[in-house]
Amino acid sequence: MDFTVFAQQIANGLVNGMAYVLIATGLTLVFGVLRIVNFAHGEFYMLGAYITYFVGTLFGLDYIAAAAISAVVVAGLGVAANKLIFWPLRRDHEFTILLSSLGLALLIANGGELLFGADPKYVESPFADEVLDIGTVTLTQQRVLVFAAAVVTLIAVYLFIRYSRFGKMMRATAQNPDGAALTGINIGLVHTYTFALACGLAALSGALVGPTVMIFPTIGNWAVLKGFIVVIMGGLGSVTGALFAGLLLGVIESLGGGYISLGFMEAIGYAMIIAVLLWRPNGLFSTARGLR
Amino acid sequence: MNTNSHGQPLAIAGGVAALAVLPFLAGNAYLEHLLVLWMLYALLALSLNIVIGYLGELTFGHAAFVGVGAYTSAILSTQLGLPPLLGLPLAGLVAAAFGLVIGYAALRVVGPQFAILTLGFGAILFTITNHWVDLTRGPMGITDIPPMAIGPLAFDSARPTYYLVLALVLATAYLCHALVGSRTGRAFLAVRENAPLAASLGINVFHTKLMGFVAATAIAGIGGAIYAHYIRVITPDIMGVHNVAALIIVVIIGGRGTILGPILGALVYIGLLESLRVAGPLRMVIFAALLTGTVVFLPGGLISLWQRWRNAHRSENTQPATPTGLPSTEGGAK
Repeated sequence: MDFTVFAQQIANGLVNGMAYVLIATGLTLVFGVLRIVNFAHGEFYMLGAYITYFVGTLFGLDYIAAAAISAVVVAGLGVAANKLIFWPLRRDHEFTILLSSLGLALLIANGGELLFGADPKYVESPFADEVLDIGTVTLTQQRVLVFAAAVVTLIAVYLFIRYSRFGKMMRATAQNPDGAALTGINIGLVHTYTFALACGLAALSGALVGPTVMIFPTIGNWAVLKGFIVVIMGGLGSVTGALFAGLLLGVIESLGGGYISLGFMEAIGYAMIIAVLLWRPNGLFSTARGLR
Repeated sequence: MNTNSHGQPLAIAGGVAALAVLPFLAGNAYLEHLLVLWMLYALLALSLNIVIGYLGELTFGHAAFVGVGAYTSAILSTQLGLPPLLGLPLAGLVAAAFGLVIGYAALRVVGPQFAILTLGFGAILFTITNHWVDLTRGPMGITDIPPMAIGPLAFDSARPTYYLVLALVLATAYLCHALVGSRTGRAFLAVRENAPLAASLGINVFHTKLMGFVAATAIAGIGGAIYAHYIRVITPDIMGVHNVAALIIVVIIGGRGTILGPILGALVYIGLLESLRVAGPLRMVIFAALLTGTVVFLPGGLISLWQRWRNAHRSENTQPATPTGLPSTEGGAK
């Protein structure tokens, strides 16, 4: 086995995996804190990539500013989705919530196709064509940025959940919403902020990954599927689990694509979660209830 | 639940007679084609309804089993020259075998996890179909699939196919009806309403769910095979997200857990799909809005409107008003 190729595959896998982790963290937060399985999560990723593209091309802003604006705008859209759909349905059966989020996903994806057109677009980034050599491994600067920005964001999210007053409110709500409400925590506010955080993270990953691939209105499907696989494999509601599972999925896909077959790369990843779930049905880091 | 039993056989006979003469009223080949599509979606929706309506689990992998059935029969008839009539039961068997393996793995978890796992399995089957070019011809799809035939009777046009699918829809509807009244069907509903309680009564929850899941996938496979031999071209898109969403939309809009609901839902779906053809991508936006709207405002689906009307109507005449006008959670129209 050629070591250079192997190291390159691992590096590519870690970058892809980090993007999966960023998508999955939002999903798992929404589930862990609010018990909502949000099928529309991938659509916020898609919107993040598109808003970055449009802010960049229409207003001529540079890539970093465009990405920041798209994260903020999509966080706002997430809050709106919460106000219109998820908050009114919070006492309903999980079936109802799952189906209405599926409806929302179809609505955004097809609405996006209507608004943006079905043809693929390229998000411009100054880092997309610059190459960086790290030892024997070669990566574009954009892919290094994906990894670095994701690491910084995840550390910030971790510290936020762990130490900020608001993070404590989120964790209390995750453990017991009624108990949290009794101690004076505003559950409505926790809903709002959790959605803003989760959708902002989805948009950020869309903005980061956007320049490395083509974007089209149906990428949300892809994103939510990857996110779900990571979340299920790591254990619904577990942020640590999402981190490990995301990196693992990225590396295994990359190695499978490099050494077995590129076409079946995705199927290999899915087959892996089935193997994991046969062994541990609730995921690697399953939590009974709560946020870890 | 069988409150107006004296009127029911008559209504059913009338309904079946109306369905039987429909192709003669259609008048042109296009409308007949739509009738076939209606019945095909009704068949697939009835099978999905066993999982969503009776077992109470949401599956996002159903279209994959439709695809497995379609590809099985198409490959057998184009590459091995097997008569499609033989391919039909084989398609059901192969889809059921897939259903058994996938159900065995996925039914260990419930609720959202199950839904997501079936989505993952569906994606695996889609990816394999799309990339195993030697067997499935990949994205090019399989063309020139011979039409279904029983002896000299070939189902190569819309009208005979309509009757074939209608017969299968009626058979499936009857099976669902018999199932709900049977011990097995009551076990399904018990598992749906309260799995731990059902388990404490001696029902093997896992086996009950697996049985329902496998039955649903077998019917889906047969439906897929008929689709393949009727349209005569299949591509991996049959397993795609669009078809998954379409089937769920049909069941939910019509009314899950009922027999008439999925049939009605299929009519609404095909009718809107064709009449809104000019709207282009806006169609799916409308369907998505309908899905969300139905889930939020009319959880029992369109069929519950009729039940509501019937309850209100009856309470006007003789009986005391029923406690609520809400749709029954226990199976609806039977």
